[in-house]
Amino acid sequence: MEDDAGRDEHVNADEEQDMDVQQAAVIIEQARVKAQHELRTAHPAIYVTWAIVYLVGYGAIWLSVRGQHPYHAPAAGAILGVFLLAAVALAVTATVVSRATSGVGGTSDVRRRITYLVLAIGYLGVLALEGALGQAGASQRVLGVYGAAAPILLIGLVFAASAAAGTDWTAFCLGTWLIAVGALSGFAGPAGVWGVLALAVGTGFFALAAITMRRIRS
Amino acid sequence: MTEDELDPVIHAPARLRLLVTLATLPEGDNLSFTRLQDLIGLTPGNLITHLRKLDDAGYVRMDKSGSGVNAVTAVSLTPDGRVALGRYTATLRRLLEAVGPDQPG
Repeated sequence: MEDDAGRDEHVNADEEQDMDVQQAAVIIEQARVKAQHELRTAHPAIYVTWAIVYLVGYGAIWLSVRGQHPYHAPAAGAILGVFLLAAVALAVTATVVSRATSGVGGTSDVRRRITYLVLAIGYLGVLALEGALGQAGASQRVLGVYGAAAPILLIGLVFAASAAAGTDWTAFCLGTWLIAVGALSGFAGPAGVWGVLALAVGTGFFALAAITMRRIRS
Repeated sequence: MTEDELDPVIHAPARLRLLVTLATLPEGDNLSFTRLQDLIGLTPGNLITHLRKLDDAGYVRMDKSGSGVNAVTAVSLTPDGRVALGRYTATLRRLLEAVGPDQPG
Protein backbone atom coordinates (compact mmCIF):
# COMPACT_ATOMS: atom_id res chain seq x y z
CA MET A 1 0.00 0.00 0.00
CA GLU A 2 1.35 3.42 -0.91
CA ASP A 3 2.28 5.58 2.04
CA ASP A 4 1.64 9.31 2.08
CA ALA A 5 5.25 10.38 2.42
CA GLY A 6 5.09 12.37 -0.79
CA ARG A 7 2.12 14.46 0.24
CA ASP A 8 2.67 18.10 1.20
CA GLU A 9 0.50 20.05 3.61
CA HIS A 10 1.02 23.12 5.67
CA VAL A 11 2.31 22.35 9.13
CA ASN A 12 -0.30 22.74 11.80
CA ALA A 13 0.52 25.75 13.96
CA ASP A 14 0.02 23.65 17.09
CA GLU A 15 2.87 21.39 16.04
CA GLU A 16 5.31 24.29 15.77
CA GLN A 17 4.30 25.89 19.06
CA ASP A 18 6.92 26.69 21.62
CA MET A 19 7.18 24.50 24.70
CA ASP A 20 8.89 24.90 28.02
CA VAL A 21 11.37 22.44 29.49
CA GLN A 22 8.80 20.66 31.68
CA GLN A 23 6.54 20.09 28.69
CA ALA A 24 9.51 18.76 26.74
CA ALA A 25 10.34 16.33 29.56
CA VAL A 26 6.73 15.10 29.64
CA ILE A 27 6.68 14.64 25.85
CA ILE A 28 9.92 12.62 25.97
CA GLU A 29 8.57 10.32 28.69
CA GLN A 30 5.16 9.87 27.02
CA ALA A 31 6.68 9.19 23.59
CA ARG A 32 9.21 6.74 25.04
CA VAL A 33 6.57 4.80 27.02
CA LYS A 34 4.16 4.69 24.07
CA ALA A 35 6.82 3.55 21.59
CA GLN A 36 8.16 0.87 23.93
CA HIS A 37 4.62 -0.36 24.60
CA GLU A 38 3.62 -0.47 20.92
CA LEU A 39 6.89 -1.91 19.59
CA ARG A 40 7.51 -4.47 22.35
CA THR A 41 7.92 -8.05 21.11
CA ALA A 42 8.90 -9.46 24.51
CA HIS A 43 5.35 -9.60 25.85
CA PRO A 44 4.31 -11.38 29.08
CA ALA A 45 1.38 -13.04 27.24
CA ILE A 46 3.84 -14.94 25.05
CA TYR A 47 5.82 -16.24 28.01
CA VAL A 48 2.68 -17.18 29.99
CA THR A 49 1.27 -19.24 27.11
CA TRP A 50 4.58 -21.09 26.68
CA ALA A 51 4.74 -21.66 30.45
CA ILE A 52 1.30 -23.30 30.21
CA VAL A 53 2.44 -25.47 27.28
CA TYR A 54 5.21 -26.96 29.40
CA LEU A 55 3.53 -27.00 32.78
CA VAL A 56 0.23 -28.49 31.55
CA GLY A 57 1.35 -30.28 28.38
CA TYR A 58 4.55 -31.87 29.66
CA GLY A 59 2.83 -32.39 33.02
CA ALA A 60 0.09 -34.41 31.27
CA ILE A 61 2.71 -36.50 29.49
CA TRP A 62 4.47 -37.14 32.79
CA LEU A 63 1.16 -38.30 34.31
CA SER A 64 0.69 -40.68 31.37
CA VAL A 65 4.14 -42.29 31.70
CA ARG A 66 4.97 -42.20 35.41
CA GLY A 67 3.29 -45.56 36.12
CA GLN A 68 4.82 -47.40 33.16
CA HIS A 69 7.01 -50.37 34.14
CA PRO A 70 8.77 -50.90 31.82
CA TYR A 71 8.66 -47.53 30.09
CA HIS A 72 7.26 -47.64 26.55
CA ALA A 73 5.83 -44.28 25.38
CA PRO A 74 3.63 -41.32 26.38
CA ALA A 75 -0.13 -41.59 25.75
CA ALA A 76 -1.18 -40.38 22.30
CA GLY A 77 -3.78 -38.08 23.86
CA ALA A 78 -1.13 -36.37 25.99
CA ILE A 79 1.14 -35.84 22.99
CA LEU A 80 -1.77 -34.45 20.99
CA GLY A 81 -2.52 -32.11 23.92
CA VAL A 82 1.05 -30.75 23.81
CA PHE A 83 0.77 -30.11 20.07
CA LEU A 84 -2.58 -28.33 20.53
CA LEU A 85 -1.22 -26.17 23.35
CA ALA A 86 1.90 -25.42 21.31
CA ALA A 87 -0.30 -24.41 18.35
CA VAL A 88 -2.18 -21.95 20.60
CA ALA A 89 1.12 -20.58 21.97
CA LEU A 90 2.50 -20.21 18.44
CA ALA A 91 -0.65 -18.33 17.39
CA VAL A 92 -0.39 -15.98 20.40
CA THR A 93 3.34 -15.43 19.70
CA ALA A 94 2.73 -14.76 15.99
CA THR A 95 -0.12 -12.32 16.74
CA VAL A 96 1.81 -10.31 19.35
CA VAL A 97 5.06 -10.23 17.35
CA SER A 98 3.42 -9.36 14.02
CA ARG A 99 1.42 -6.55 15.64
CA ALA A 100 4.51 -5.12 17.34
CA THR A 101 6.80 -5.44 14.33
CA SER A 102 4.36 -4.18 11.71
CA GLY A 103 6.23 -1.51 9.74
CA VAL A 104 9.52 -2.21 11.53
CA GLY A 105 12.41 -3.13 9.27
CA GLY A 106 16.17 -3.45 9.47
CA THR A 107 18.56 -5.51 11.55
CA SER A 108 16.11 -6.79 14.18
CA ASP A 109 13.74 -8.06 11.51
CA VAL A 110 16.53 -9.99 9.78
CA ARG A 111 17.79 -11.35 13.12
CA ARG A 112 14.26 -12.49 14.07
CA ARG A 113 13.76 -14.32 10.75
CA ILE A 114 17.12 -16.05 11.08
CA THR A 115 16.23 -17.12 14.64
CA TYR A 116 12.92 -18.67 13.49
CA LEU A 117 14.73 -20.40 10.62
CA VAL A 118 17.40 -21.81 12.95
CA LEU A 119 14.68 -23.05 15.34
CA ALA A 120 12.78 -24.79 12.53
CA ILE A 121 15.91 -26.37 11.03
CA GLY A 122 17.16 -27.33 14.48
CA TYR A 123 13.87 -29.00 15.36
CA LEU A 124 13.97 -31.00 12.11
CA GLY A 125 17.52 -31.99 13.07
CA VAL A 126 16.35 -33.14 16.50
CA LEU A 127 13.64 -35.29 14.89
CA ALA A 128 16.09 -36.72 12.33
CA LEU A 129 18.60 -37.62 15.03
CA GLU A 130 15.82 -39.30 17.05
CA GLY A 131 15.04 -41.41 13.97
CA ALA A 132 18.71 -42.25 13.56
CA LEU A 133 19.00 -43.26 17.23
CA GLY A 134 15.96 -45.53 16.85
CA GLN A 135 17.43 -47.08 13.73
CA ALA A 136 20.75 -47.64 15.53
CA GLY A 137 18.94 -49.68 18.14
CA ALA A 138 18.42 -47.15 20.94
CA SER A 139 15.93 -48.38 23.52
CA GLN A 140 12.52 -46.80 24.22
CA ARG A 141 14.01 -45.46 27.48
CA VAL A 142 16.84 -43.66 25.62
CA LEU A 143 14.46 -42.36 22.96
CA GLY A 144 12.09 -41.18 25.71
CA VAL A 145 14.80 -39.12 27.42
CA TYR A 146 16.08 -37.75 24.10
CA GLY A 147 12.61 -36.87 22.76
CA ALA A 148 11.76 -34.91 25.89
CA ALA A 149 15.05 -33.14 26.59
CA ALA A 150 16.64 -32.49 23.17
CA PRO A 151 14.04 -29.90 21.99
CA ILE A 152 14.50 -27.98 25.26
CA LEU A 153 18.27 -27.97 24.79
CA LEU A 154 17.77 -26.63 21.25
CA ILE A 155 15.31 -23.93 22.37
CA GLY A 156 17.68 -22.91 25.18
CA LEU A 157 20.64 -22.61 22.81
CA VAL A 158 18.72 -20.53 20.27
CA PHE A 159 17.11 -18.38 22.99
CA ALA A 160 20.46 -17.69 24.70
CA ALA A 161 22.29 -16.96 21.46
CA SER A 162 19.63 -14.58 20.10
CA ALA A 163 19.21 -12.89 23.49
CA ALA A 164 22.96 -12.39 23.79
CA ALA A 165 23.08 -10.84 20.30
CA GLY A 166 20.43 -8.34 21.39
CA THR A 167 21.99 -7.99 24.88
CA ASP A 168 18.75 -9.03 26.60
CA TRP A 169 20.30 -10.55 29.70
CA THR A 170 17.00 -11.73 31.23
CA ALA A 171 16.19 -13.79 28.14
CA PHE A 172 19.82 -14.93 28.04
CA CYS A 173 19.43 -16.24 31.61
CA LEU A 174 16.27 -18.15 30.61
CA GLY A 175 18.17 -19.59 27.62
CA THR A 176 21.02 -20.85 29.79
CA TRP A 177 18.47 -22.18 32.31
CA LEU A 178 16.81 -24.17 29.50
CA ILE A 179 20.20 -25.50 28.37
CA ALA A 180 20.98 -26.67 31.92
CA VAL A 181 17.52 -28.17 32.40
CA GLY A 182 17.59 -29.83 28.97
CA ALA A 183 21.01 -31.30 29.64
CA LEU A 184 20.41 -32.51 33.19
CA SER A 185 16.72 -33.50 33.21
CA GLY A 186 17.54 -36.80 31.48
CA PHE A 187 19.03 -38.08 34.72
CA ALA A 188 15.45 -38.31 36.02
CA GLY A 189 14.86 -41.18 33.57
CA PRO A 190 12.44 -41.50 30.65
CA ALA A 191 9.35 -40.91 32.80
CA GLY A 192 10.76 -38.44 35.34
CA VAL A 193 12.29 -36.24 32.61
CA TRP A 194 8.79 -35.04 31.61
CA GLY A 195 7.94 -34.03 35.17
CA VAL A 196 11.25 -32.22 35.67
CA LEU A 197 10.87 -30.36 32.38
CA ALA A 198 7.22 -29.47 33.11
CA LEU A 199 8.21 -27.80 36.37
CA ALA A 200 11.58 -26.33 35.41
CA VAL A 201 10.67 -24.98 31.96
CA GLY A 202 7.17 -23.87 33.00
CA THR A 203 8.59 -22.02 36.02
CA GLY A 204 11.31 -20.46 33.87
CA PHE A 205 8.79 -19.00 31.43
CA PHE A 206 6.53 -17.80 34.28
CA ALA A 207 9.54 -16.08 35.84
CA LEU A 208 10.38 -14.38 32.54
CA ALA A 209 6.73 -13.24 32.22
CA ALA A 210 6.83 -11.78 35.74
CA ILE A 211 10.15 -9.98 35.12
CA THR A 212 8.87 -8.58 31.81
CA MET A 213 5.63 -7.41 33.45
CA ARG A 214 7.64 -5.70 36.20
CA ARG A 215 9.81 -3.95 33.60
CA ILE A 216 6.72 -2.69 31.77
CA ARG A 217 5.24 -1.25 34.96
CA SER A 218 8.45 0.39 36.19
CA MET B 1 21.71 28.35 31.21
CA THR B 2 18.65 29.13 29.04
CA GLU B 3 16.24 27.29 26.74
CA ASP B 4 18.11 28.84 23.81
CA GLU B 5 20.77 26.17 24.33
CA LEU B 6 18.26 23.49 23.30
CA ASP B 7 18.60 22.39 19.69
CA PRO B 8 15.81 24.31 17.86
CA VAL B 9 15.41 21.52 15.29
CA ILE B 10 14.47 19.09 18.09
CA HIS B 11 12.75 21.54 20.41
CA ALA B 12 9.27 21.26 18.84
CA PRO B 13 6.65 18.83 20.21
CA ALA B 14 6.17 16.82 17.01
CA ARG B 15 9.85 16.53 16.13
CA LEU B 16 10.75 15.63 19.70
CA ARG B 17 8.14 12.83 19.67
CA LEU B 18 9.48 11.64 16.33
CA LEU B 19 13.08 11.44 17.47
CA VAL B 20 12.23 9.79 20.82
CA THR B 21 10.06 7.21 19.03
CA LEU B 22 12.79 6.39 16.50
CA ALA B 23 15.38 6.25 19.29
CA THR B 24 13.51 3.40 21.02
CA LEU B 25 14.40 1.19 18.03
CA PRO B 26 17.72 -0.63 18.12
CA GLU B 27 20.43 0.81 15.86
CA GLY B 28 20.00 -0.46 12.31
CA ASP B 29 16.19 -0.63 12.52
CA ASN B 30 13.69 1.60 10.75
CA LEU B 31 9.97 2.39 10.85
CA SER B 32 7.64 2.69 7.88
CA PHE B 33 6.08 6.08 7.30
CA THR B 34 2.58 4.72 7.96
CA ARG B 35 3.56 3.01 11.26
CA LEU B 36 5.33 6.19 12.35
CA GLN B 37 2.20 8.15 11.50
CA ASP B 38 0.12 5.76 13.64
CA LEU B 39 2.51 6.11 16.56
CA ILE B 40 2.87 9.89 16.43
CA GLY B 41 -0.68 10.74 15.40
CA LEU B 42 0.13 13.39 12.77
CA THR B 43 -1.42 13.95 9.38
CA PRO B 44 0.77 12.71 6.50
CA GLY B 45 1.51 16.29 5.42
CA ASN B 46 2.57 17.40 8.87
CA LEU B 47 4.64 14.28 9.38
CA ILE B 48 6.56 14.65 6.11
CA THR B 49 7.21 18.33 6.81
CA HIS B 50 8.72 17.58 10.22
CA LEU B 51 10.66 14.63 8.84
CA ARG B 52 12.16 16.83 6.11
CA LYS B 53 13.37 19.30 8.74
CA LEU B 54 14.98 16.46 10.66
CA ASP B 55 16.38 15.04 7.42
CA ASP B 56 17.86 18.42 6.45
CA ALA B 57 19.59 18.52 9.85
CA GLY B 58 20.95 15.00 9.24
CA TYR B 59 19.04 13.55 12.21
CA VAL B 60 16.84 11.09 10.29
CA ARG B 61 17.15 9.19 7.07
CA MET B 62 14.27 8.46 4.70
CA ASP B 63 14.60 5.59 2.25
CA LYS B 64 11.87 5.23 -0.33
CA SER B 65 11.43 1.91 -2.07
CA GLY B 66 8.97 0.80 -4.71
CA SER B 67 6.83 3.14 -6.78
CA GLY B 68 3.20 4.09 -7.25
CA VAL B 69 0.82 2.18 -4.99
CA ASN B 70 3.70 0.02 -3.72
CA ALA B 71 5.83 2.95 -2.56
CA VAL B 72 7.05 2.55 1.01
CA THR B 73 9.16 5.02 2.95
CA ALA B 74 11.37 3.72 5.76
CA VAL B 75 12.48 6.24 8.37
CA SER B 76 15.44 5.71 10.67
CA LEU B 77 17.43 7.72 13.18
CA THR B 78 20.97 8.53 12.02
CA PRO B 79 23.98 8.31 14.37
CA ASP B 80 24.05 12.14 14.33
CA GLY B 81 20.36 12.16 15.31
CA ARG B 82 20.99 9.81 18.21
CA VAL B 83 23.88 12.02 19.43
CA ALA B 84 21.79 15.19 19.00
CA LEU B 85 18.89 13.69 20.98
CA GLY B 86 21.29 12.62 23.73
CA ARG B 87 22.74 16.13 23.87
CA TYR B 88 19.21 17.62 23.90
CA THR B 89 18.05 15.43 26.81
CA ALA B 90 21.24 16.15 28.76
CA THR B 91 20.73 19.89 28.31
CA LEU B 92 17.06 19.52 29.21
CA ARG B 93 17.99 17.65 32.40
CA ARG B 94 20.39 20.41 33.44
CA LEU B 95 17.74 23.06 32.75
CA LEU B 96 15.17 21.14 34.81
CA GLU B 97 17.63 20.82 37.69
CA ALA B 98 18.30 24.56 37.48
CA VAL B 99 14.58 25.35 37.54
CA GLY B 100 14.04 23.04 40.53
CA PRO B 101 11.10 20.72 41.25
CA ASP B 102 8.93 23.36 42.96
CA GLN B 103 9.24 26.05 40.34
CA PRO B 104 6.39 26.48 37.89
CA GLY B 105 7.29 26.07 34.22
